[in-house]
Amino acid sequence: MSDLQTKKPQWWKSKDVKITAGLWVVFSALIAIIGGEVNARPMGEAASETMANTIHIMKLFTWVSAPVAGLVAAIAVKALMQKMHFGDNPPPEADHQISDSPKATAVWVIVSALLCLFALIFGMVILQKDNNTLLDVHATDIKVTGQQWAWNFDYSDNGNFQSEDLYLPVNKPVHFHVTSLDVVHSFWIVQMGIKVDANPGYLTETAVTPTKIGIYDLRCAELCGLLHAYMQKKVHVVSQQDYNNWVTSHGGTI
Amino acid sequence: MTTVMNHKSPTASHRPIMERLNVVTAVVLGVAGAVISYYLAQKFLPQNTEGSVMKTRHDQVVLIGMIGWFIGFMTGIGALVGPFRWLMGKDLSHDENMYLAGKDAGIARYFRYTTDHKVVGIQYLVITMVIFGLGGILAMLIRTNLGNPEGGWLHPQAYNAVVGIHGIVMIVGTIIMITGPFGNFIMPIMIGARDMAFPRLNALSFWLIVAAIAPILSSFFLGGITTGWSAYNPLASQAPAGMDGYIMFICIFAISTMVAGANITTTVVRMRAKGMTWTRTPIFIYGTVASVALALPAFPVFFLSQIMSGMDRALGTTFYDTRGGGSGWLYENLFWLMGHPEVYVILIPAVAALMEMAPVFTRRPLFSFKIAVMGIAGICGLSILVWAHHMYMTGWAPLLNAPFMLTTELISIPTGMLFLVLVGTVWRGRLWMTVPTASIFALLLNFMIGGITGIYLSDVPADAALHGSMFVTAHFHYTLMGAGLTGAIAALIFWFPKMTGRMIDKQLSWISFWMVQIGFNVAFMGMFMVGLAGQPRRVEAYAELFTRGNQITTGAAFVIMAGMLVLLWAVIYSWRHGQKAPMNPWQSKTLEWSVPNPVPLENFETLPTVTSDPYGYGKAQS
Repeated sequence: MSDLQTKKPQWWKSKDVKITAGLWVVFSALIAIIGGEVNARPMGEAASETMANTIHIMKLFTWVSAPVAGLVAAIAVKALMQKMHFGDNPPPEADHQISDSPKATAVWVIVSALLCLFALIFGMVILQKDNNTLLDVHATDIKVTGQQWAWNFDYSDNGNFQSEDLYLPVNKPVHFHVTSLDVVHSFWIVQMGIKVDANPGYLTETAVTPTKIGIYDLRCAELCGLLHAYMQKKVHVVSQQDYNNWVTSHGGTI
Repeated sequence: MTTVMNHKSPTASHRPIMERLNVVTAVVLGVAGAVISYYLAQKFLPQNTEGSVMKTRHDQVVLIGMIGWFIGFMTGIGALVGPFRWLMGKDLSHDENMYLAGKDAGIARYFRYTTDHKVVGIQYLVITMVIFGLGGILAMLIRTNLGNPEGGWLHPQAYNAVVGIHGIVMIVGTIIMITGPFGNFIMPIMIGARDMAFPRLNALSFWLIVAAIAPILSSFFLGGITTGWSAYNPLASQAPAGMDGYIMFICIFAISTMVAGANITTTVVRMRAKGMTWTRTPIFIYGTVASVALALPAFPVFFLSQIMSGMDRALGTTFYDTRGGGSGWLYENLFWLMGHPEVYVILIPAVAALMEMAPVFTRRPLFSFKIAVMGIAGICGLSILVWAHHMYMTGWAPLLNAPFMLTTELISIPTGMLFLVLVGTVWRGRLWMTVPTASIFALLLNFMIGGITGIYLSDVPADAALHGSMFVTAHFHYTLMGAGLTGAIAALIFWFPKMTGRMIDKQLSWISFWMVQIGFNVAFMGMFMVGLAGQPRRVEAYAELFTRGNQITTGAAFVIMAGMLVLLWAVIYSWRHGQKAPMNPWQSKTLEWSVPNPVPLENFETLPTVTSDPYGYGKAQS
């Protein structure tokens, strides 16, 4: 790196620097590609735009941090590639005494600040998108009540009936109002990438638009006592037609 | 038992009370105190009546019993000797102070209220290993239970208790693992001091931790800590009496941390050797001070939060109970006000210790000392402004999500500076391959993974998918264990020759290093995978699709355990039979290597004067 410039003017021509630069490119690419895949693959297919955005943003963060991680890896590997010294006595001291390089540190700090700013702005943009769903007045309102160790759903927009199953119409925004009867639970629909705590005495809110018909997982994400592990449910995302049938069969109105 | 010291005992047959106190009298008095106060509480506290709203009598009795233990133990160990003398208007005589410092006392001084910082350092080292042993056994219970999807042989309640105790015990272990043993043993010698600024407070901080162990152990028999280490209310007010053990444990531990923090900070500020300006002070000292100074604002809050939790349980107050006008969010805020600085309390000294070793094993100066100090200071400053990122999903204050996202992501800048210092130092150095050297690279890898996964978690939309999942668990294990513990083990191997006078077995420590690092990375990669796929934390059973990831983690956890046992064996064996260490086996230039083995009482015959910075390696100088 640039700390070599105290030695010779054209530091970038040094062999060390060339090897490190090569390693940097390779490692950055590897980290970006593999890291992005490793994150996205286990998260599965998104069942909502929120989740699609989340997978997207995690890939993006991986790509943004890949050059930094790649550089650290390149320098570390380059250091390990050098001739090492084993044994009980120290090797001769290094052939230089470089203890600082203001330029290198300045570049490092500025670049990391820029990457940080970039991540922040993208995060804010996606956050704003998610928040906009919350403001949708046409959304179906569902009240979610957690208690040890079950979930209950009040369909206040559909004749105010209560159900132990969660059915959602596809491609329609849903607005969840979440609360708890006893301790803190956390309402988490895994494949839709939404989560909010259920607090006793308070209503918290989250919203999502399911985009795929299917059966998804609702899990409690906050330790809530004995049967926390079993406090889960299936979420059924169905077509509008099926949803209407389900609602009327439960005594609700459309 | 204590040795009779003729020159100070009034008569040979009658030793002063001070000399009769040791860990045995402490335990005896502690048990007596617990039994008596338990009995009195049972006898005199009003019964729960049919109509009483809160059935809190049991919690009152348990807490009073534990307070009885605490007072009895601290009296029995001799913590009150000094304050008692002051009340009488006197101070300890020189002979008595020398007695307290453990002069000529041999092995007995390790079982007494000894003020010598080297004794306290060794005591801390042993208790840290005991704590890690306990936490490690509990970790293995968790992993075996998670070996198959239906959960295992542990009852869900027992499983929750194991998770809770594993969590808090490991957190406490990691908090003290560097500032305890090395901050006490090495730090005063490194700055050229004869002892700590307040030697008696030093002994106090250690024995408080020992006193705190009884409540946490007793919680096993009182129903366990079934809330996880974070002990969220209102779940905590519902939990069995084991929760009172947690509350008592935290209160005592918080006092210990505050005492140690004040002591170490004062020592470094006031007692550095002549000529040791701030730019000549080794980076490890900065790391230690940053760590304990950060604990100074954090732990009073923790203390307070648990006092309030205890009052809710025992006295029927409603600080955290919505029905009585309180709020669980208050607890969460207080808890994470401590909880986030606390992870840096753990991490900073680990990174600083490796920064201290990097120049020694690369034989070149530390790269950019100023940036290292700025990085540490920056992390400290920012870390008290990020707590609510643990609360993105609580629904507490959605408007605050964006500002906390900002502060959290800003922390990556000073953290990046620490990386720069480490890679800058290994760049073009001559690597002397030892376990500490390899640990630098292990830390770079683990901390990088821990850091990048932290960036995902700092982002609110991504946190909506990841919060409360195994991903978080894997993330903080990468930072606290992958980075923190790696640094602590390296520090142990690096300073082992000075602390014990013997070299640690090289082969065994290499075997342990590879087993732990490989086991660790495999185990927690598996955990990342199941977390991304949606497995919640702290569950004792899980869906079929997580089976493979969990079994990988469990299998690799056994490799970690084996590696840790190898290290334990290496420590015990080398401590007893290891090869005698020379005064300065690593040819390091810091002051702690300039004193003979074993380090004499009061360290230096004449106090040293420092004339150059401690990282003057490299050809140009010699």
